Amino acid sequence: MDIQNTQSQMRKGVLEFCILSIIKKGEVYPSDIVEQMKNANLHILEGTLYPLLTRLKNAGLLTYRWVESNSGPPRKYFVMTDTGLAFYEELARTWNELADAVNAITQTNNNSNTTENQTQL
Amino acid sequence: MKKVININFQGRVVPIEESAYDILKKYIESLRNFFANEEGRDEIINDIEGRIAELFGETLKKGSTCIADDDVNTIIASIGRPEDFDDEEANVKSQLGGEKKQTESNSNTSSQQTYTNEGDKRLYRDENNKVVAGICSGIANHFNIDPTIIRILAVIFFGAVFLPYIILWVVIPSSATKVIGSQRKRLFRDTEDKVIAGVCSGLAQYFHVSVWVPRLLFLIPFFSFVLNFGRWHFWNFPDFMRISFSPGSAFIYIVLWLVLPEAKSTADKLEMKGEKVDLNSIKNTIQSDLEGIGSRAKKWGEDLSKQASEMGKDFSQKAKQFSTEATEKGKQFATEASAIPRKHGSRLGDFIVLIFKIFFYFIFGSILFAIVCALFAVGVVVTGLIPAWSFIIADGWQTILAWGTLVLFVWVPVIGIVTWIIRKLAGKKRNSKTLGFAFGSLWTVGWICIILLIASLSKDFGYRNIPSEENIVLTTPAVKQLEVKMDNIKYYDEEWYRLQPFASLDEDTAYVRNVRIRITKSKTDSFSVKIVKLANGKNRNIANNNASKVDFNITQTDSVLTLGKGIAINRKDKFRNQHVIITIAVPVGKKIKLNDNLGWDDHVYVGFGNSDWNWDDEDGVVTNWRHNVWYVMSTEGKLKRVDNIDDNDNNNTNNTDDNDAENNAIENYKKSREEIQKQREQKIKELNEIDKQLNQTDSSKYRYQPAKPQKPQSKQTALLSIKKMNMSFLFIAPNLLLARVI
Repeated sequence: MDIQNTQSQMRKGVLEFCILSIIKKGEVYPSDIVEQMKNANLHILEGTLYPLLTRLKNAGLLTYRWVESNSGPPRKYFVMTDTGLAFYEELARTWNELADAVNAITQTNNNSNTTENQTQL
Repeated sequence: MKKVININFQGRVVPIEESAYDILKKYIESLRNFFANEEGRDEIINDIEGRIAELFGETLKKGSTCIADDDVNTIIASIGRPEDFDDEEANVKSQLGGEKKQTESNSNTSSQQTYTNEGDKRLYRDENNKVVAGICSGIANHFNIDPTIIRILAVIFFGAVFLPYIILWVVIPSSATKVIGSQRKRLFRDTEDKVIAGVCSGLAQYFHVSVWVPRLLFLIPFFSFVLNFGRWHFWNFPDFMRISFSPGSAFIYIVLWLVLPEAKSTADKLEMKGEKVDLNSIKNTIQSDLEGIGSRAKKWGEDLSKQASEMGKDFSQKAKQFSTEATEKGKQFATEASAIPRKHGSRLGDFIVLIFKIFFYFIFGSILFAIVCALFAVGVVVTGLIPAWSFIIADGWQTILAWGTLVLFVWVPVIGIVTWIIRKLAGKKRNSKTLGFAFGSLWTVGWICIILLIASLSKDFGYRNIPSEENIVLTTPAVKQLEVKMDNIKYYDEEWYRLQPFASLDEDTAYVRNVRIRITKSKTDSFSVKIVKLANGKNRNIANNNASKVDFNITQTDSVLTLGKGIAINRKDKFRNQHVIITIAVPVGKKIKLNDNLGWDDHVYVGFGNSDWNWDDEDGVVTNWRHNVWYVMSTEGKLKRVDNIDDNDNNNTNNTDDNDAENNAIENYKKSREEIQKQREQKIKELNEIDKQLNQTDSSKYRYQPAKPQKPQSKQTALLSIKKMNMSFLFIAPNLLLARVI
């Protein structure tokens, strides 16, 4: 098993969820998403983000609005649709369940490990 | 100093350095390729372009006058290269479920769409649809045909295809390089750092080595060729063909010069320097490719059988279109089959066109290959004959013409055709006019050279000496039998290849075994031997002189008559068709045998003008005999085999001893051959008549009367028939060119 591969897979699994939760907060420009995620120590390339956004948009989860910009061509600001919101909530529920489950499992593992160690001592 | 251009990028005018523009263009192109199968490709590209335009705007706002290479590279780094987000993409896609569609089409259609729709018809190994290395499907994509057909052909002609396959594997870039959009490497001529044409520095760039490595690799063999030129002998001939084939480095250089494009634009230069390709990476590619072969081959087999059954079902479905039973299954298969574009039996016309296409390409390819091989072989042999030139060709103009012929007449078309083929394979559809013109004019000069050379040589061969017969004194002419032997030429070194008549080449003497033997009835009861020496020359005096210099030893010891090993030819007097005709008179009732190293096998003969072998034969001269057979002279002046087997075809063979069907068949065949030979003989006689009339000035006592209908052996016939064609310029006896494997 490649540790890096597993790690990146773990990260990527929640990528979409993170992006949707950022958009949920309000209208957002893609490079702001990158910025926000970078602040949260989750790196994503714009080259990965754009196709993902397009796909989400085509799936009807997002929509966008053109905003004039003074530093370049008009910008696309993304916003969530109702379907997107439902989709997001479903994901959030799954995430919480998963997080609880993972925490529970890792917790018990640690506990049992320590007890085993203690008995051996 | 860099050129700045203005581009219209996302509706804005952006001043950008030309090199930066090339990088940007490449990057966008790589994204386009990467997202080729994506539904919203254009939108994604557009979004990214918009973002780049915005970043450009920021850079320009900061006070830069234009966008430089570094700016573009920084932006690309922040957005990411396709190969960087490859993994992420794949995972994200599968998560989204948008992948489903992709995988279906990916296996078959995507590759074809990507390659056939675009203008770029470069040959790629198709990674998406491969069994071994994707060469077959790559070729199929290139020609727009079904890979299965190419594969079947490749399997059928496995033996012939194997080596080219390996070469193509290494040479052709993988389609992955294109799809992922990494910088694919290409060979260019680097004219910025050139000595002659920049071939070496281009190679150095490609393999990431110092420029001096390829330069030395080209120079060392070339210098060894130049330095050794004076000492270059025939026994070096095999070396000539090895990799170290010295003039070959010049040949390879010229071909590369013509084939490789010059790195003109910045994009070319970037491509030239692309990622590192060395033996290790080639090895790695092949190794990783090999690992997957087994599974892929299996998969292919399964696919094939599936396809076949699909096909069958498809047809049956058509037949029972109204039966409800098959509809559902049929639909399923139809959707699956639609992923395979224009598959079997869709239209008969397409299929026929396809077959013709394959047939045409196959035939055309074979013919081209054969032509190149033949030309190359001629080139190698003629080049290898260089040391022999001085035996025939005079110094001065003739030598210059000979070189002109060799280089311009023989090698120029070889290089031209090789170049043309490589250009075709490399996908350059348009023919270069300058190249064509250059080759054409050089070849024309070559033609002039060869014509002048032939004219000049035919002059040198123009006259024949006046033959005179000399008697050879035999020590014991009254022996009962005579065995005729010829001294063997001793070969001092063991080479696998040897040009027969010049094999015994000393520093400046070659031995030519131009000896012809006639047997007549002796008027006395002892053997007698006569010799006639013949040669050509520029005029009759020179011809006579050449003939008088012919030194041919004949010695008798008891019952063995030993002939010299050949006529010595030196570089000063040149080869002028020197040959000797030996007449052996055999008394009635005595026996004679001719050993098998005698004969026409090794004859060297340059067929210019008037150098005829035939002359007024007396009655009863026997010229067709067999080797290693004892003959006895009969009273009628005919030879009879001692073992009583009749090998003379013109005698009626009514002996019932050996009249089984097979023998008769052979006999008949021989007779029919004899007929043809006689007819040929007749033609030659007619020709000789004309010759005679033309040469009325020739007042020698040996007039060119039509020869008696004799039965020359097949090799002589070949010689004569070539003469009949009257356009032979250089005739070398058949096995001259036969490689003798030792």
